[in-house]
Amino acid sequence: MECRGLKFYLSIYRKILIQDLKSKMSYRADFVISTIGMIMTNVAGFITFMILFHNFPTINGWDYYHMLFLYGFSLVALTPVQCFFDNNWNLRFMVQSGDFIKYCFRPINVFFYFMSEVFDVKGLGQLMFGLGTLVYAWYHIGVPVTFLTIMQALIFLFTASLFMIAIMNFAAATCFWIQGSGYVMVIMFRFKDFAKYPASIFSGIFKIIFTFVIPIAFVAYYPSLVLLSPDEVPLLSWLSPLIGLVFFFLSYKFWMLGVRKYDFTGS
Amino acid sequence: MSDEAILMKGVCKDFKVLNRHEGLKGSIKDLFSRDYKTVSAVKDVSLTVNKGEIVGYLGPNGAGKSTTIKMMTGVLEPTSGEILVNGLVPYKDRTKNCENIGVVFGQRSQLWWSLPLIESFKLLRDIYMVPQKEYDDMIALYRSLVDIEPVLHKPVRQMSLGQRTLSDILAAFLHNPGIVFLDEPTIGLDVSMKSKIRDLILGLNKEKHTTVILTTHDMGDVDALCKRIVIIDKGSKIYDNDIDHLKSYFGSYRTLRMRIGDTWEERLIDEKETDVMSVIAETQAKHKIKDIQLQEISTEEVIKKIYEGGS
Repeated sequence: MECRGLKFYLSIYRKILIQDLKSKMSYRADFVISTIGMIMTNVAGFITFMILFHNFPTINGWDYYHMLFLYGFSLVALTPVQCFFDNNWNLRFMVQSGDFIKYCFRPINVFFYFMSEVFDVKGLGQLMFGLGTLVYAWYHIGVPVTFLTIMQALIFLFTASLFMIAIMNFAAATCFWIQGSGYVMVIMFRFKDFAKYPASIFSGIFKIIFTFVIPIAFVAYYPSLVLLSPDEVPLLSWLSPLIGLVFFFLSYKFWMLGVRKYDFTGS
Repeated sequence: MSDEAILMKGVCKDFKVLNRHEGLKGSIKDLFSRDYKTVSAVKDVSLTVNKGEIVGYLGPNGAGKSTTIKMMTGVLEPTSGEILVNGLVPYKDRTKNCENIGVVFGQRSQLWWSLPLIESFKLLRDIYMVPQKEYDDMIALYRSLVDIEPVLHKPVRQMSLGQRTLSDILAAFLHNPGIVFLDEPTIGLDVSMKSKIRDLILGLNKEKHTTVILTTHDMGDVDALCKRIVIIDKGSKIYDNDIDHLKSYFGSYRTLRMRIGDTWEERLIDEKETDVMSVIAETQAKHKIKDIQLQEISTEEVIKKIYEGGS
């Protein structure tokens, strides 16, 4: 039997995605309403941001465009978790009802199979919005547009998104052990709102928590420093791609451990 | 390859269950307590299933049927004992084991909810890496066995329960697995759909020599499909033999029906102890018998007797 490698999984994902989009389009009202909803959410978030900045022209030495850059950066970095890993939100219902078992009967990776089932289109609106904000701020700050900076942006955006995905994996996988995992997920998801502020505004204990315990500071702050202050990039920023990969890998292992440990009682 | 599809040797499965205490105080206590008790769901079950067999796996609710199936499919690890499915240890080689099995859980569709069936089939073809020729042959076989046109282009979420079950069964056989596990496939279905599904399972078993493990509470399924049945109760295997042999499990029972006046009277007679003729003679002496019927005991009645405490 041939080995199922990356190519196999990508092709399966693509096929599922196409089918899924096709069927989503057929429910037009649903599609339109959820897209409008996503735009409204983003606009509302942006207005809050504007009002805030109207009153405080700088936060901890960060001016308007730098904050905007961070804001756009976090929105783009949060897109993958929204688009590709949204099924984490359904995990606990499926585990509790026993429906989760169906993911264990296919000769493919359970984590992949589970996540591939849901692609959330709403994330795309956020991506557009985030990209627009990012480009606008980039232009106004005057970050040079070179091959290097573009590559840095791509790599560190990818890194940042890994952190958020990993946080949500950890949060969702707690449902294999505890009943109230819904709260864990909601709290973790709320934390993402802190991602759009520079971690330097948090003091002492919170900075440590958001860096090393729940690494929200890695979802925008540390990675974006590579572009925003190229002269004095902290070590943590340079290390973030590596830390991100390790953290994501650990969250995946934790998730899979939950699957193995779970008793699948009730039928 | 050997002729055995499934080999189980002394398989046990224990679950750890938290001892729950009552009331609010008890709940708080539970938060910190490590007070577990062990529940044995499956006790020392040994079983051999040959290739191409259809085996009815029966037992009352909570007997350990599902747990056994979950161990055979590699979802659960047995606490002790040995399981080989198609020569593989299911829990260790879950992915590989899944290549060669199909699973249907009645009422729990495994298909993509929003996709038309044919698209689900194509995805499954890719996932199981079924060659196009084999895939086409299988679809042709399906067409010859059952009318699949009404369901083929319908999204699963719009299907009736019967159509969904039918689709799930077709999907389970699509990659031509060596073994298919069917967990209550006819639950909640109407009579005509039941018989359609039974014919389909029989047809596929005959054409592809697929081993089928069937759990059900419907004795109609058992009568229609299984030559051999295995009964499990409270985690232990209590019966494993031909279905014909089952009827003499408690002796040779027959039901004698006699019409006295306008009413039918029924008596279950164990022919080892009482003679049917003597019962008739005895009754004849007291009443005038207008009509007589003699019936074989039904599978349902025997199973009921076994569940109610034959052992």
